[in-house]
Amino acid sequence: MLKKYISIVRGAALVGVLMCGASLLAQTTASGVINGSLNNTNGIAIQFDSDPAGVTLGAAGTNAATANFGTVSAFGTLAAGVTRPSVTAVNFTVRTIFDVQVVSGGLNSLTYTLTANLAAAAPAGMSYKVDAITLTTALQTIQVNGAYGTDIPHNLDLVILTAAPGAGGPALNTPITTTINFTATAN
Amino acid sequence: MYFGNKTLPVSAFCQDQIKWASDASGQVMNVTGQERYGLLLPAVLLTMSCNLKFRGMKALLAMGGLLCLLASSAAAQTSSGQLTITMSVQSSITLIFQDNPSVGTTGFCPLTNAGTNNVGLDFGTAAFPGSFHTLACVNYQHIGTAVYQVSSAFDIVVSKSNSSSPNYRLAAQISTPPPANVTWLLNNVALTTAGFTTLDAADNYATPITKTLQVQVKNTVGAQPLLETITFLATAN
Repeated sequence: MLKKYISIVRGAALVGVLMCGASLLAQTTASGVINGSLNNTNGIAIQFDSDPAGVTLGAAGTNAATANFGTVSAFGTLAAGVTRPSVTAVNFTVRTIFDVQVVSGGLNSLTYTLTANLAAAAPAGMSYKVDAITLTTALQTIQVNGAYGTDIPHNLDLVILTAAPGAGGPALNTPITTTINFTATAN
Repeated sequence: MYFGNKTLPVSAFCQDQIKWASDASGQVMNVTGQERYGLLLPAVLLTMSCNLKFRGMKALLAMGGLLCLLASSAAAQTSSGQLTITMSVQSSITLIFQDNPSVGTTGFCPLTNAGTNNVGLDFGTAAFPGSFHTLACVNYQHIGTAVYQVSSAFDIVVSKSNSSSPNYRLAAQISTPPPANVTWLLNNVALTTAGFTTLDAADNYATPITKTLQVQVKNTVGAQPLLETITFLATAN
């Protein structure tokens, strides 16, 4: 009886060892593959950055930034980053400086052309200039040889008639908002 | 139209399951099997299941693909952005002092820093005895028996912007009380430190207004520098 019991135990132990070995052997190798793919395309991207000499842009570093001139007048104080390069009997100009940066990838292009236009007709008594080029709703070329990957400063001038409201001058003491569209095209 | 070893009619289309095509002469040509004429770009346009086995068709497709590639590479890369500007316009006026056109003649001394709103007007040195005064441009007078006056005229120009104000009023004030028996006047109106004294009720914008600054000194006043800052205030009506 005892011999039979011992024999059963030995047999069970042997089976256990064999099974354990088999399972260890089954986990020693594994394989897998990653099928990597990348479609490297080309393109350019424009963004607006704050210039140290200009107003701090809202949403700087994006392609949808804002520039707030604050309250402007022919003779009163101006917000930081806003200057008044000229005052005449007919109009006065307030100016800020903003930066445009265009980055490129996958292109042989060395430079880009920058164009701009007003998204809508200028409000009464106002006109807008970028680098002395008066903007309209039609595209105007601002720069023909912009370098990629660097901030390029541009003057943004608001030319405001000194006439009173109703006499050709702008509305007073109310926010006036204008959107300028910029387009960079790889040369 | 001849490409390769077969003549292709322009009307020969690449279609599945078509087993024949005709050339320009109307000859029926067998087209074997299903073969795909594929180009990389654009897949939709150029990968076709064709039954045509013409080298001419291959060349035609290759040329089309090349044109597509050229067209693709020629398309200009652009990027757009928007800069939105906000501002509010406020009406304003400004005041500056200018030399009178008669500057240099008696009664019209030159201003220092003329054309700004912060100027200087020097009367030089003067004394009661002998009608003594050092500057020819100064208008020197004795008033009564014991007072002398020096005076000089200059212009004030007030400009407006973005305002419907028709005119402005002008006032002035001295900054420190003068010594006893010394009086500072503008157009014969004595100035005080108590508040602004109205000089004009309705002056026109952008028009020079001539004002004469006077200093009256009694002969009992001791020798001393007489300095005064006169503040002018223009207020839109």
